[in-house]
Amino acid sequence: MPPRIQNQLASNSLLPFLSSTSTPSTSSSASLSKLPISQYSPSSSCSSRRSSRPFSSTASTQTKLRNEMFTWLKKEGEALKNHTPGSTNYLSALRFRGEEGQRPPSWPFPLNPSFVSEPVLSEELRNDIYERVVVKKKSVRAVSVELGVDMRRVGAVVRLVELEKRMKQQGKSMALPYARAIHEMIPTTPLHDDARGHRFKPHEAINDLPVHRLTETQIFYPVSESRQFNRVDAGRVFSAAPAQEHTQVARNASDPAAAVSRVTQQPSTIETVGKGADETQVLQAADMRIPHPHLVAHQRHRLEKPNEAREAQDLYKKRLKVEETAEKERKRISKERAEQKLLKVQPEASRFEFRFKDVEVSRETVGKDGRGSKAPGHRYGVPSYDRKKGQVKIPTRVEV
Amino acid sequence: MRNRATTPLSKPKLRQSWSKYNLFNLQRLRNPPTIAKTFFQQKWTAKSMARAYHGEQVRESQWARMFSRRIRSVVPMNPVKLAEDDGSAMSAGRGSGLENVTYAEQGRANSRLTPFTQMTFAPLERRLDVAIFRAMFASSARQARQFVVHGAVTVNGKKMRYPGYLLNPGDLFQVEPERVMFATGAPKDKFERREGRVARRKASETTAEAEAAEEGAVAAEETKESEVEGKEAEQEAENPREALKTLLAQAKSIMAGNKDAMSAKRKQELRGFQKAVKRVLSRSESSTVLTDSLESQFSELTLLLKAKRTEKKNDKGSKKEQKQSAAQTSESSSATASESQPGEKLTEAFRQAAENPEEEVDTSELTDDEFDVLKRALVQMRDNPIDSSKPYATPWRPRDYMSAFALIPRYLEVNQNICAAVYLRHPVARPGFSEVPTPFGESVGTSAFAWYLKRR
Amino acid sequence: MVVRIRLARFGNKHSPIYNVVVAQARSARDSKPLEVIGTFNTVPQKPTNLSDEEARRARAFKEVSLDRSRAKYWLGVGAQPSGSVWKLLNLAGLVEPKEKSQN
Repeated sequence: MPPRIQNQLASNSLLPFLSSTSTPSTSSSASLSKLPISQYSPSSSCSSRRSSRPFSSTASTQTKLRNEMFTWLKKEGEALKNHTPGSTNYLSALRFRGEEGQRPPSWPFPLNPSFVSEPVLSEELRNDIYERVVVKKKSVRAVSVELGVDMRRVGAVVRLVELEKRMKQQGKSMALPYARAIHEMIPTTPLHDDARGHRFKPHEAINDLPVHRLTETQIFYPVSESRQFNRVDAGRVFSAAPAQEHTQVARNASDPAAAVSRVTQQPSTIETVGKGADETQVLQAADMRIPHPHLVAHQRHRLEKPNEAREAQDLYKKRLKVEETAEKERKRISKERAEQKLLKVQPEASRFEFRFKDVEVSRETVGKDGRGSKAPGHRYGVPSYDRKKGQVKIPTRVEV
Repeated sequence: MRNRATTPLSKPKLRQSWSKYNLFNLQRLRNPPTIAKTFFQQKWTAKSMARAYHGEQVRESQWARMFSRRIRSVVPMNPVKLAEDDGSAMSAGRGSGLENVTYAEQGRANSRLTPFTQMTFAPLERRLDVAIFRAMFASSARQARQFVVHGAVTVNGKKMRYPGYLLNPGDLFQVEPERVMFATGAPKDKFERREGRVARRKASETTAEAEAAEEGAVAAEETKESEVEGKEAEQEAENPREALKTLLAQAKSIMAGNKDAMSAKRKQELRGFQKAVKRVLSRSESSTVLTDSLESQFSELTLLLKAKRTEKKNDKGSKKEQKQSAAQTSESSSATASESQPGEKLTEAFRQAAENPEEEVDTSELTDDEFDVLKRALVQMRDNPIDSSKPYATPWRPRDYMSAFALIPRYLEVNQNICAAVYLRHPVARPGFSEVPTPFGESVGTSAFAWYLKRR
Repeated sequence: MVVRIRLARFGNKHSPIYNVVVAQARSARDSKPLEVIGTFNTVPQKPTNLSDEEARRARAFKEVSLDRSRAKYWLGVGAQPSGSVWKLLNLAGLVEPKEKSQN
């Protein structure tokens, strides 16, 4: 059927680089697949038929490619069919299988070594995190540092274990065999008996610094040779802020820990640049933007006084406590402020509560022509685009 | 929506799926040739390959709107390094850094470039259906989509029927565990399906019968009850053995049923379990101590035992002890020990009984390992029973070729027991690693990214 | 002409949301009012971020946003609230409850 072959040739743009097999053991099939595509047409199916069913006169239902696939699955692919508990079983491990004693590669896709299958929390570690946070009342920050787990992950684990406990209490069905099988298939971070195990082999990097938009540009900024140009100055250059006063530089240099805690505990005091809508906060140094800035202060103390391990430990605990109380205080104040703005009325005759929020109708909000975007209520004379193409018409958030 | 996510072999396309066709296609995937191809052609092939995998269910225009050229990335910071210097050494001298910043260190830092372009399709990972697939709750993105549309998925405790819902950091999504077991479990074979049909028919018949016979049965049951109570004491002694026997039968049926479907490891386990059970059974004919302590250990196994265990254990145990001591004096010491602390001393009793040469025919086989195997097998059997009413093969075992695709990216925190996961943050790139699971190499990722930059 | 404080319906089909407006009594509902002084969402909302125990006892709420000083001013110059707005202003503590006979 010449026209059909032609058609396949034209449409199949991906075939040339999807060769069938790479291993030398099936060199015959590999060489077949490298032949021109006309070999793939149904006319070639007779050869495979001849091999598998020599006396049958009916046309084979299986194409050559399917035959090839099943032979591969029976030979090399056999190893991928079932997992061996405790180790990964990825396709990229196939070519490493010959050498014994080597750890299998951790990337699941052979062509993409930049994505690796990273370990997940084991069941025991998960329960331990829950116990530390809920039973022992440790702060999320402290647990995160102790176990080398991201703070957001700690929070998520607490939520999930709580949900699990509730479901167990209600007697709902759970997927226990499934969970067991998954934990056998993928790498897991075990719960170490001592704290040192977690310190040397943390689950993940806890001090990830997000790359700021401002730092993506390259700036040529001439500085005199005698000047001490550090991270703080670089941040100011990135956000186009003027250089710091000498007195302030000296003050920050004398007590860097205080400078960091001032920024992290009162983010509203950060200096701003720009006017009006363009007003932005000055880009802070990495010491302040990482999730655990108190660790830097701790390390600095240890570097300065290497012989005072115990004092450093005590100071670290104190610092942690200060950070925690400051965080709590900040949360409380913001909650209080939100409560103050809101008037809650619960009339006896009604099933509902009424929440009155204060808004402001003034020249500033409404504008000269009464169409200001900050004015309360829906606006007049402005078309609503909510059903237009490109608008998101499904829910964008679900409150807890 | 029509399912266009087929995995043909003649026109191979990779999909977000765990099927063996997809595995075969993944196995023969190579980077597309760039020789004698214009830049446009390279970009086109790269984009078409990548889009067949990433968000094939999303329309192209919709994806083009979602695409963002700003790619999130992080740099892991070391607090020790931050404490050591304030960064001024990097810009000291003539601006190229001081001498003490060694070139070797710089070279190492440069070698781990951040694979930004492998993150081209990161916005799609926010979609609910893709996230469900990534959390390994569904065997393909299409199946995940079906779960969402059919109302089996909740987000933050509320049912969410839109597969295109973009998860926000901190959102908790949950799929019904039964669906997940179905999606990830091996399918039933012909015989199991038939069994299920038969069981269903039987159940419908019995319910009809029961309704009719209920009134008549009540009176009869009352008279029987007194007899039953009398027998209960005897039955209980038999019960642990019966439980073991049924478990053994189950294990046998599994072994006999589908030999090729099980992994070698699991077969070994089951065989060990069979052996252990057999040994215990043969032994318990002569020594009731073993069954008794087994009862206390695995009481969860049988509901019947659980109900009456605490009441009757003491007097029954003492009775048996007397018999025991009459028969064998050597055994009695171990028996009393195991009776006093049944949970703790079980292994001890087992070992003693196994080492006792007078009593057992097959001596010294029951090692600690085997006992562990038995224990584990019993617990597994309880969690994973044979139930023909389920839509998947029971006892549950993972699908074939599932392990080749088993991965959970870091931006999700998954609790498999309850089939719930939290979307922690958006996927990010870090030096040397990207968090978007994509089967394609750097060349495809870069070309696809270039395509969506809209400068062609 | 009487100036009234009343509600003007916005939003889509089955999802109403109201502006609290000050307008001439005879003007159309959708015409441009003298002033918009707030909004009223009649669809009850479930409170969020609660524990299980709290969630069981919590009442659903209706959101009102209101500029109280402007409302006071308009009441002072003789604007007459409509029935439903009267109830809202009463809850906000700006007017006395209406007697039953007047309704």
